[in-house]
Amino acid sequence: MHPILARGRLSLYLGLWASAALFLGVLVALQTRAPWAEVALVTLPLAFVYAFVCMSSWYVAHAMPLAATGAVRILVTAATASAIACAMWLAAARAWIAWLVAHGLFAFPGQGLYTLLAAFGLLFYLLALAVSYLFAVLGHVRAAERRGLEAQVLAREAELRMLRAQIDPHFLFNSLHSISALTTADPPAARRMCVLLAELLRESLALGGERGITLERELSLVARFLAIERVRYGARLDSEIVVGDGAAACIVPPLLLLPIVENAVTHGIAHMLSGGEVRVRAERRGERLVIAVVNPCDPDRPRRAGGGVGLANVRARLAALHGGDAGISAGEENGEWRVELALPASRSNSGMLEAGSW
Amino acid sequence: MRIVIVDDEPLARAVVREFLGAHPGVEVVAECGNGFEAVKAVTELSPDLVFLDVQMPKLSGFEVLELIGRDVPVVFTTAYDKYALRAFEVHAVDYLLKPFSEDRFAEALSRARERLLVRTPQGADPAMEGLAEDVRPKGPVERVLIRDGAQVHVIPVDRIDYVEAQDDYVCFASDGRQYLKDQTLASVEGQLDPGRFVRIHRSYLLNIERIARVELYAKDSRVAILRDGRRLPVSRAGYGRLQRLL
Repeated sequence: MHPILARGRLSLYLGLWASAALFLGVLVALQTRAPWAEVALVTLPLAFVYAFVCMSSWYVAHAMPLAATGAVRILVTAATASAIACAMWLAAARAWIAWLVAHGLFAFPGQGLYTLLAAFGLLFYLLALAVSYLFAVLGHVRAAERRGLEAQVLAREAELRMLRAQIDPHFLFNSLHSISALTTADPPAARRMCVLLAELLRESLALGGERGITLERELSLVARFLAIERVRYGARLDSEIVVGDGAAACIVPPLLLLPIVENAVTHGIAHMLSGGEVRVRAERRGERLVIAVVNPCDPDRPRRAGGGVGLANVRARLAALHGGDAGISAGEENGEWRVELALPASRSNSGMLEAGSW
Repeated sequence: MRIVIVDDEPLARAVVREFLGAHPGVEVVAECGNGFEAVKAVTELSPDLVFLDVQMPKLSGFEVLELIGRDVPVVFTTAYDKYALRAFEVHAVDYLLKPFSEDRFAEALSRARERLLVRTPQGADPAMEGLAEDVRPKGPVERVLIRDGAQVHVIPVDRIDYVEAQDDYVCFASDGRQYLKDQTLASVEGQLDPGRFVRIHRSYLLNIERIARVELYAKDSRVAILRDGRRLPVSRAGYGRLQRLL
């Protein structure tokens, strides 16, 4: 819809045009020296009609936005549009004045009046067009601001969703319970645990906003997680992280490995009477980065219904970033659960963006 | 008051032990790191109260309660609020969400004391009858738990050959061994997958994968011969159910 027709703006617009009509009346009065009543009879209806004609300039500005159109084209369009609008208005003016003259309401002063009206018409149409462009630009700026804010909100929501999906709240509750136990039994250990937990949370919050991080950073997060779980599980949980040559600097999506290692502990080690070791191995094989997470598992463990959400998340994220170029496999073998990821080894974020763009 | 603490995390056990220290007349008689130890300790020590974690290796807290529940009041301790309703259904004394405060813990303990005062004689609480069925989640079970004195047997359902009704008990046959359980055959039938186990006779529930062949024995009476050569009677109705399934 035309913006001027919305929410009482029409009266404001017509109010502005009343001053334009006064201006036109003064010009006509000066030129024709006709009495004021006659001048008003000629100019007021004409100005009123032209106010509506000039509203068409908004459509011109809309069809030919400043940013997407060349200067010459805009000038030609502006000239053509104002010429057409002015010509139409002049035709109406001729008819109106002829009618007034025929009825003896106005003494025709000569062709000079039409020249004056044509100049007024052209000038005011161009003015209206300029104002339309100004409002269009302001509208664009406001829309861009809103889009920017919306994008920020969406990104923050995605970050929170990822954290919700990836850091299990029960991990937090159990860790807090461990701290509660340590506060009297071993205060320095309680403090260490607080710091570990805070570091894990801070780091994972910071990582949520990033597209890609080095494997080294992801693994330090994993190591912190395992250190916290080690406090909970005691001697039942061992862990080993081995990184091959050239693998540490490779770029991976943030929080890719953490949910897999979380599963290895909660669905693997937690079900073993005497516990076991979580082993993380990362190596670079040519242009591929291969990461394996292995944990012992109890063959009689209860199968979880509706499980495997974490794995499905990881698979979806890899597919979104690398298409068919990355893969994840998981399975049980000789009493061990093994998750293996393979993705293109890139050393910069741009490599990942390229890979993700097709 | 004699108490058993069951939790697979040493620190979580330490919290309970520490909080109990403030209460006179309380004695921790055992600390257990898993469900097997818990069943053994409860059987041998018959404590007045058990603090029981839900998520543990091998046996969950609910499975432990299924095995010991008729004998002893239980307070669940867990970080998961999703089990609260189930804990209420199985008549747990209380449900402590980790981390819990000392005040909240004291409240659970006094609730347990009240429960002890009004407690009915062992094994005669009608509210506890049929507990085994209540505790289980809906849908067929994947393993059967059998308490044999202080010992617990966990039998995955695909290792069960057949189940036989014997007076007030049922007998699970698995890998050449037999395990008695205080349950009815009808309730076992309700727990097992009807696509894998069929009631071939008033007294027999058979794993269909174990059948070698079915022979006519007499008029209107057949016999199922299992892969290991064992012969089980098949009633006329049982034969009909078997035919529908195969």
